[in-house]
Amino acid sequence: MSEPKHHANRPEHALPAGDRASLGILAIFIIFVVAVPKNNLPAVIAYGAFTLFVITASRLSLRLIMKRLLVISPFVLFMAAGNLYFDRQPIFDAWNFAVTGGMISAGVIAAKSLVTISALLVYSHSVPFHRFGNALRAFGVPELFATQLQLVYRYSFMLGDEARSLQKARDLRSFGHKGKDIRATAQLIGSLLVRSSLRAEKIYMAMSARGFGNNLALQQKEPFTKRDAITVLLTTWYFLAVRIVFIP
Amino acid sequence: MHMSDALLSPAVGGAFWAVSGGLIAWSIKKSSMDQDGRKTALMGVLGAFVFAAQMINFTIPGTGSSGHLGGGLLLTVLLGPHRAFIALASVLVIQSLFFADGGLLALGCNIFNLAFFPAFVAYPFLYRTIAGNSLTSARLGAASMTAATAGLLMGACFVVLQTTVSGISELPFGTFMLFMLPIHFAIGIVEGLVTWAVVAFVAATDPTLLSMQHESDKKRSLTPAVFILIALVTGGTLAWFASPYPDGLEWSMARTSGQEEIEGRPEPVHGTLSSIQEKIAFLPDYGFRSTGDGPSESTDPASPVNTGTSVSGIAGSLMVLILAGVIGLFTGAGMRKTEKTGE
Repeated sequence: MSEPKHHANRPEHALPAGDRASLGILAIFIIFVVAVPKNNLPAVIAYGAFTLFVITASRLSLRLIMKRLLVISPFVLFMAAGNLYFDRQPIFDAWNFAVTGGMISAGVIAAKSLVTISALLVYSHSVPFHRFGNALRAFGVPELFATQLQLVYRYSFMLGDEARSLQKARDLRSFGHKGKDIRATAQLIGSLLVRSSLRAEKIYMAMSARGFGNNLALQQKEPFTKRDAITVLLTTWYFLAVRIVFIP
Repeated sequence: MHMSDALLSPAVGGAFWAVSGGLIAWSIKKSSMDQDGRKTALMGVLGAFVFAAQMINFTIPGTGSSGHLGGGLLLTVLLGPHRAFIALASVLVIQSLFFADGGLLALGCNIFNLAFFPAFVAYPFLYRTIAGNSLTSARLGAASMTAATAGLLMGACFVVLQTTVSGISELPFGTFMLFMLPIHFAIGIVEGLVTWAVVAFVAATDPTLLSMQHESDKKRSLTPAVFILIALVTGGTLAWFASPYPDGLEWSMARTSGQEEIEGRPEPVHGTLSSIQEKIAFLPDYGFRSTGDGPSESTDPASPVNTGTSVSGIAGSLMVLILAGVIGLFTGAGMRKTEKTGE
């Protein structure tokens, strides 16, 4: 099975820093955004400017990001709704409309979610998975875990195709909800599982024939350049400046 | 049940990153002992299988809605706790980074809630105890249903605890629990049913897949999981019944000075240090921080049940366990070094 279009056709060097530095910046950025107090909407919006800058700089489709955002985070929206309901203390009036504490904190939850998830999506759309694996190795993540991640990612598309074709075959033979119950579906999942284990055996034999030694680290580790160091320092300084200006 | 970054404080997110990171390192150490490349390939493919199996929907009886397999317990039954924990953690990393399902800071919480409980609590204590080495349908059914439901409920409880301790949401602890537990109980039953049906199918068609794990289970040690479970129960519930009276030192001070805690001299160093302590202590006096608008916990004063005490007890127990584990690792490494140099 092939990877989805947006994964397969990623620009190779869309981000201004190396893969390891970009991952580090992403982690620092998320910590700064999450550390914004629950009633400070302007600070989250100010951090959102960074995400918007990276989206435009890496020439990613804003539509694609928005589409992904719409289908995730129902749990976050539920929690934001909880704040709306439980904190109804008016804070100020805007054009004869009482703005409550819950409205602000719910807005902060939704905005934080939007900003952090967009940043994650920018990273995932800019860095191919094998380079992400190498970035993790450079951070000292154990080889077994990095190899495991690459195997899961590689075969999830292949087995995904198989699962889809199994489901399609079942749907073609079932009328209404007949044949879609737990018992029948479990047999489909079981058959996919048996096929997967047979496939694992073949994969292992093929990998062993090519000299697989329990890891996939064939490429040299990406060096951490001076440019990377400057980018990390500058962005951290910027995040700190936003915090100082917007959070009293 | 995936937590998002927007609902967590950096302290809670960071603490669970440390816990989950430690568990991954421990599981890798345990899994690396046999050096079997075949199992590495199987782990990778079964991790991918979880992704693929989640695409196959089934009709949930009596609701008209559809659901899919979670896969935590099934993976543990097939791979064993350590390898399943690594496989589930890798699935959650990919879901977080490449499908934006769950946040990056929340990854530690998600790995703990969705992988630790099925792999290290529900499987060894419930599934293995009930199912034993038998592959009979009734035993497999009871084991799958109990373990899947318990694993999901424990994970859901920790979602509530992590969110409440972070202090971002206004949802009261009790209301949030009442909302989360019934839903996850129902999801757990369905997850248990599907796991049972799949395990029964595999037992009938390719039992070698199951026997591989059963053989290696005979050698496993449950010591760390037993300690974690005891710590959670003691910190989470037995702490409610701790004596409300002052301890020996406070009693002595009360007798001599008339106060339980002696006021320090108003020196600037003391003031600065206490203000730093007030800021960084996320559970002051073993309870939630008061907002100043009244009591922070809506509990009955006559009841011994106290959410803040539970959270403090669990957080404290976990921190002590991590600290003890880290000290143990360093001590063990030091001893091995001494042994080598002695040779």
